[in-house]
Amino acid sequence: MNNPHPDILAFITTLKMAGITTIILMIIGTPLAWYLAKMQSRAKVIIEALVALPLVLPPTVLGFYLLLLFSPQYLPGQIWQQATGQQLAFSFSAIVIGSVLYSLPFVVQPLQKAFEQLGDDLLEAAAMLGASAFDRFFTIVLPITKASFITAASLGFAHTVGEFGVVLMIGGNIPGETRVLSIALFDHVEAFDYAQAHIISISLIISSVVLLSLIYLLNRPAKTKQLKSKRLT
Amino acid sequence: MDELTLNFTVVHDKFSLSINEKLSLGGITGIFGHSGSGKSTLLKVIAGLEKHVQGNLAINNDELLNSEAKLFVSAQQRNIGLVFQNSRLFPHLSVEENLRYGQKRNKDCVLNFLEIIELTQLESLLDKAVTQLSGGEQQRVALARALLAEPKLLLLDEPLSALDDKNKIVLLALLEKVNKQLNLPMLYVSHSLPEIQQLADKLLVISSGEVSHHGDIHQVIHQLTTNNEILHQTSLSLPVNEHLPEFGLTSLALGEQQIFIACDHQPDKEQQVRCIIAASDISVTLHEPLKSSIVNHLYGTISTFDKIGSPDGRNVQMLLSVNCSGQNFFVTITTWSAKRLSLILGQEIFIQFKANAVRALR
Repeated sequence: MNNPHPDILAFITTLKMAGITTIILMIIGTPLAWYLAKMQSRAKVIIEALVALPLVLPPTVLGFYLLLLFSPQYLPGQIWQQATGQQLAFSFSAIVIGSVLYSLPFVVQPLQKAFEQLGDDLLEAAAMLGASAFDRFFTIVLPITKASFITAASLGFAHTVGEFGVVLMIGGNIPGETRVLSIALFDHVEAFDYAQAHIISISLIISSVVLLSLIYLLNRPAKTKQLKSKRLT
Repeated sequence: MDELTLNFTVVHDKFSLSINEKLSLGGITGIFGHSGSGKSTLLKVIAGLEKHVQGNLAINNDELLNSEAKLFVSAQQRNIGLVFQNSRLFPHLSVEENLRYGQKRNKDCVLNFLEIIELTQLESLLDKAVTQLSGGEQQRVALARALLAEPKLLLLDEPLSALDDKNKIVLLALLEKVNKQLNLPMLYVSHSLPEIQQLADKLLVISSGEVSHHGDIHQVIHQLTTNNEILHQTSLSLPVNEHLPEFGLTSLALGEQQIFIACDHQPDKEQQVRCIIAASDISVTLHEPLKSSIVNHLYGTISTFDKIGSPDGRNVQMLLSVNCSGQNFFVTITTWSAKRLSLILGQEIFIQFKANAVRALR
């Protein structure tokens, strides 16, 4: 494809943004959720509130402050520019960073809940059998809370695909760089191109329903699936 | 014999545990205390699961904890096994995978997997999911899993408390067998003295976060009885004299005297039989009761003589200890009987009790 359709390009940009964001979210969100689940200090509520902030805050508020921080007038933007030679605001990296912050609660909350439910009992038992912390994470925590990891990754991904405000504020509308599907949709509506808007909207609705159904399917039958396989053996 | 040195303090919100003891690690040491006394915390400290500990902990010269030198050997590096009250089996693994979890992580394994499976009678359960097991089976798997990791010391934290009586008996017998066959030292925590009496050779008593007694189990039970801390009883181990299968009795040797116990199988002649006799089951007579259905009568002298009973003065009884062939027996009688028989210290008397009053433990 030498010249893909702008909406296809937006689709690819969206997938790239959501995919990279999800990977970063899992890497950051897992230890953060673990830390919150095990934390007993009173500062816990403050960190929890900060993580949950994007749930209640208008995305444009987050986008506004990120825009300021990412601009070359402020330190984070300056550091980025010196390190990479490129401006951070209105770049693909900017929308990924914004998305990570914006979708953080969707990853941290299910993981934190799963880690809290898991408790310490099995981990203590594993430690007494000689398993190190890393070993315990991969042989006990991960297999038992697998469904929550899938939920967290899917919600993080889906929510990133659907975001609009933050991307618009800090990414603008650069094709192939920051023009994602939700922005493309907004463009079509502004231009009264409802046919194209329908195509994007309906495909987003269908893919969201499919993705969410998969999450619920994976989460629900954990028990019934086990029972069936047991009966077979 | 290995020695465990404990010298530490743990302080929680409303609770502190302070222990300064040396335990010789051989056989089974019972750790007895009421709930909240700190006995489970003691096990957690030894296991390495309690992080906020001040002091020292060592097995022989291997330090496990030295808070001054900021040394803390983590639980996974201590090579100590722990069987919990709840079995804590890994739900996503099969029975066999659970059993192999610890074994895989110990490089110096010498135990044969199948031998341990046979010992713990788990052959038929290996392929099952752990959720399909009964409570007794779960604890047996938990025990075998801990054994297969080949710890140098096995801690047991009320491992029977969630089981019914039938399963308790099965697991107690198994623990005894395991202790003998594998020669693995165990620390057994329980709030049930009869359970500990069944298994332990030594007894450590914890009360309000401190060690109140520690020593040979019979001696400690003797002290606890003297201090009115437990149901008054005589606890002793005696060698087998002879077995009388036609009467279902076995006689045990007590110096030149003997004690008959009800016993339906031929006991091991080499083994000592551990017995418990409640003080309320023993009576006193001034003359040898030759014409009595009560089979046990022992000659002895009254060595102590104390009033016991409720502080309000009601239900007052006399607690005697009577020395028969070097063994002290505790006897409770009414003050009325004591007066009627004109009992005094040093008096020579007979004590008598039925064969069925003796609870033989092994």
